This record gives sequence, structure tokens and C-alpha cells, in this order.
Amino acid sequence: MQKTLLALAATMTIAGAAQAEQMVFTSWGGTTQDAQAAHWAAPFTEKTGTAVVQDGPTDYGKIKAMVEAGAVTWDVVDVEFDWALQAGAQGLLEPLDFSVIDKSKLDPRFVSDFAVGSFYYSFVLGWNPANFGGEQPATLADLFDTAKFPGKRTFYKWSAPGVIEAALLADGVAPEDLYPLDLDRAFAKLDTIKADIIWWEGGAQSQQLLASGEAPIGFFWNGRLAALAADGMPVGISWDQNITAADALVVPKGTVNKETAMRFIAEATSAEGQAAFAAASGYAPINLESADLMSPEVRATLPDAQTAVQVNADMAYWAQHRDEIGNRWYAWQAQ
Amino acid sequence: MTTATIRRGSGLGFAMPAMLLLLAFFIIPVAGLLMRSVTEPEPGLQNYAALLGSATYAKVFFNTFFVAGLVTIVTMLIAFPVSWALAIMPSRWAAILFAVILLSMWTNLLARTYAWMVLLQQTGLINRSLMALGLIDQPLQLTNNLVGVTIGMVYIMLPFMILPLYGVIKKIDPAILQAAALCGATKAQALRRVLLPLAAPGLASGGLMVFVMSLGYFVTPSLLGGTANMMLPELIVQQVQSLVNWGMGGAAAFILLVVTLGLYALQLRFFEPKEGR
Repeated sequence: MQKTLLALAATMTIAGAAQAEQMVFTSWGGTTQDAQAAHWAAPFTEKTGTAVVQDGPTDYGKIKAMVEAGAVTWDVVDVEFDWALQAGAQGLLEPLDFSVIDKSKLDPRFVSDFAVGSFYYSFVLGWNPANFGGEQPATLADLFDTAKFPGKRTFYKWSAPGVIEAALLADGVAPEDLYPLDLDRAFAKLDTIKADIIWWEGGAQSQQLLASGEAPIGFFWNGRLAALAADGMPVGISWDQNITAADALVVPKGTVNKETAMRFIAEATSAEGQAAFAAASGYAPINLESADLMSPEVRATLPDAQTAVQVNADMAYWAQHRDEIGNRWYAWQAQ
Repeated sequence: MTTATIRRGSGLGFAMPAMLLLLAFFIIPVAGLLMRSVTEPEPGLQNYAALLGSATYAKVFFNTFFVAGLVTIVTMLIAFPVSWALAIMPSRWAAILFAVILLSMWTNLLARTYAWMVLLQQTGLINRSLMALGLIDQPLQLTNNLVGVTIGMVYIMLPFMILPLYGVIKKIDPAILQAAALCGATKAQALRRVLLPLAAPGLASGGLMVFVMSLGYFVTPSLLGGTANMMLPELIVQQVQSLVNWGMGGAAAFILLVVTLGLYALQLRFFEPKEGR
């Protein structure tokens, strides 16, 4: 709040100036935003002299309210990619300036008129080996098999690309036949394990559930499992049919720091910025030249190394059906 | 009467800053939210129709009142003996007990809720102790369900029940209970026919406060409950934050507000403070 007020005061005093002295970057908090601050914001401030105020967490309701009220205090925001596509179509975002942001170097899967990838990640099957004596889980089908692998399983609580796809893949749908999503079939599959699901709302909670054994198996953001493993915890990870999704960087419509925001995004998506962030977070870079800047050890832990067994969530499909799927998702949860 | 009128008039003046603050930061935004609920995505009452017409949302409404009611009753059952003990124990002891109760109230809500998560989970302290004592073979499911929500919320609500209840019980003359005993009342009769009726205003105001606060609670049910016990505030968060559907979120918030005001009106009607008459 204080940060927002400060930023508000700052934007008002320097309104109109091409190069702002200060801008606000909003993300989801935690270790991910720490890495963004260290590897995107700090070099940006060094190069341009523009201070970057960190705010958060990202809140879509707030972005919409800001844009509609004409009082935008967030200059660059890290959002989910499917939301970015939807919000762009609804006129909530500034079109990106690709004369400032060099999109020729970016993974085309994660570039659109209103958003470029922030990083991409995979949903992967993870488990706590201590909880399973003999055979270890290996496939998404095992994640839904409570007879073979008993115990609670944990899944991402919010409506987003990932869990629906996993249910369909586990049920035998071929990756190329996933879209359009057969929601009836997906929810029928999820129904079979509903009583055993514990929902995680954020990355830290997912780690806690797995590490404590509260939910010995689940479907996680790969970076969070990498962090647990880096802390010395034994973690089982299966990349089989890892499902990619991405975060995006967007500029809410009407910010007075538009030019500064574009330059910040250019810095964040640069080969160096993406490589340093990936090494710190365990999430994959969306700049195609970043791989050359990283050590082979780091590259081996990223979703980039798992493209052969990767399934890409269809962000355009999600952007179009986000509300419909979301309403059904939450209604199903509450039943 | 004239002095009372004067006092009332000047009191209004003192309340002006608070009233202005409420107007600017509560009344106007709430009015805006109400407007959105009948104008988004298009003008009409379709948000209310959707909320009140669907079986899923009906279940969410039921959960909201059921959980709030359960929490209120359990809080009353625990708070009553505590308040009674506070009223009759030596004041030095009472001061220490009060400090403990208030200290817990002043601790960050999120920290307290996470603490309960850690204590209640399957590998948590409570389950492990019970298993070590041989009382259970399998860990009990204490979180992600109604049990977790109830424990977490009762703990948070206790001070809001104890404080008004203590205030009322403290004013009861102990001689009244002695008189009841002298007249031949058993302890149970003295409790039921003397103490409880005298403490009723405290129970009512504490109960209403706990019930209304429970209706609007988000953090604790969200962290300690499962989605099967979803309450109205969580529905509002989903609609506004995840689906960016201010219309539906506003409608749900407005229904919650109307219910709350209705309960408050009921309390004013039935438990009006006697001094005012």
C-alpha cells in the first residue's frame, strides 16, 4: 500500500516526462519476484537510472478497476498468459512496442500483440519418495490411481491451464486431441479422486504439503520442486507429459510510464535477463538465445530439456474459454 | 431530556470525521459495487438470478450460514465458562488471563492460521502425539474440512465472545446466585434459570458479532477448509480476482451485506440496551 502510494505520488509529479524516474513492477511475490527484482529490475535501474518499485501480488480485479478508473499505478505486471490474451482482447492492455522489444529473439509460442512471455514453466508430477515403498509413480495415470498410490494428492486450486489437461491425458486422451477440451470427461476423471484432493493456492503451500507428507503426490510447478530438491529434500519428479504454461509481462492501459514500461520489458526479456532469472528460479527462459548463456547443469533442470515429452497448453483456447471453464471449475469444486 | 438532546447533537459533531471517512471509503465504494452488480456484464438482475437460482451457489449460501452458526455455538460453549471464571477469579489472575486472550487477538491472523495448519495436518503435532499415545492408529483428518475451519475460526472468534460476555457477567451481583442457592436451587437450576437469563444480553451481542464476522471471513476457511465447505467470501474472491467478474462478485457481496444489516436490525429490536429507554 505504501509502495503503491509512493509510486502514485511519483507518477503524478513526473507525468509527461518521457523517461520516468520511477516505475512499478507487480508480480506474485515470493522467490519468483525476488529473482525478477534481482535479475531484471536491478540491471534495468543500473542502465537507465529509473528506480523500479516492487508491488504485488498480481490481482486481475485490481488491474481492471485501475484501467476503468483511469488511475493506473502498475506499469508492468506479471500475469498468466491466458489472462493476458483475454485482457488484451478486452482492451485492458497497451499494445507492446516491438520497436523497443526485440521479438525476433523470443520463443514465438509466448509472443502476442499485448503480451510477451515472462518465463514458462511446466506442471509436473511430483511425489515424496518416503511415502511410497516399492514402485514409484511415473505417469499422469498414476497420479489419478488411488489404488496403486494411495494418499492425498494436491493440485492447483485456481482455474488455469494444467489440471484439466492432466485429467484428460491420464484418462487416455492423446496430446494432439486435447483441444477443444472435453470438460465432461475431465471432470468425470477428477471426480474419481475428488475426495483425496487437497488444493494448493500458491507455490509455497504446494511445497509445504509435499515436504510434510500431507499430500505425498501431486501436480506442481516445476520450479517449486527444483527448489525443494536444491534444499536437499528427496523429491520424485516425472517429466512424462509435462504441461507447459507461461506467465506474461503486460502493460495496463493508460499508464503514464508507457515508454519506460516497454524498455523494462525489453530488459526483462533480454537473453541475459532471461538466463539469469531461469538459473535463479528453475523456470525456463522465453528468449531463444538464453540457453547459450547457461551452464549445462542448469539447463538440464529446466522444462527446456524436456520438450520431447512436453504437452503445450493452448493459451489461445484458454483465453477464449476462460470464463466458461472457470465458472464450471469453481462450481465443481464447491459441489 | 434537553441535556440528552444537547449531548446527542454535539456527539454528532464529534462523529463527523469518522462519518466522512466511512462515506468516502465505505459507502461510496459499496454503492459502486452495487451498481456494478446490476450493470455488468449487462443491465439487469441476471447476476442475482444466477446466484439465487443455482444449486451450487445455494450450497455455498448454506455452507456460509451453517459454518457461521456452528462457529457461533461452539464459541459460546467455550467462552461462557471462561467468562464466568474471569468474573469470579481474583483480579490479579484475571488480568493475566486477559493478557493471554488479548495477546492472541493481536497476533497476526495469517500467522495464527498457518500455525493451526501445522498443528492440525496429518503429520502435525496433534496427530503425532495422539498416535504416539496409542489413541489412534491412523492420523485424523483435521484440516481441509469442516473440523479445521471450525477449530481455526472458533479460536479467532473467542475474544469477541468473551469480552462482551465478561462485561455482562461481571455486573451480575454474586448475591443473586447465593439467593438462588438459599431458595433451594441446584447448581444446574441456578445456571439455567438465573445466570443464563441474566447473561443473555452478553451472549446475544457476542453471538451476533461472532456470527456476522464469521459470515465474512475469508483467510481461515480458505486455508483450513476444503472446497466442499466453500463460503460466500471465497466465491466473491474467485469471481473478482480470478474471473474478473465484478458484477457477480458485487451481487454476492451485496447479498452478504443485506443479511448482515438484517441481523443487526433484529438485534437492535430484541436486545436494545435497557439504559436507553
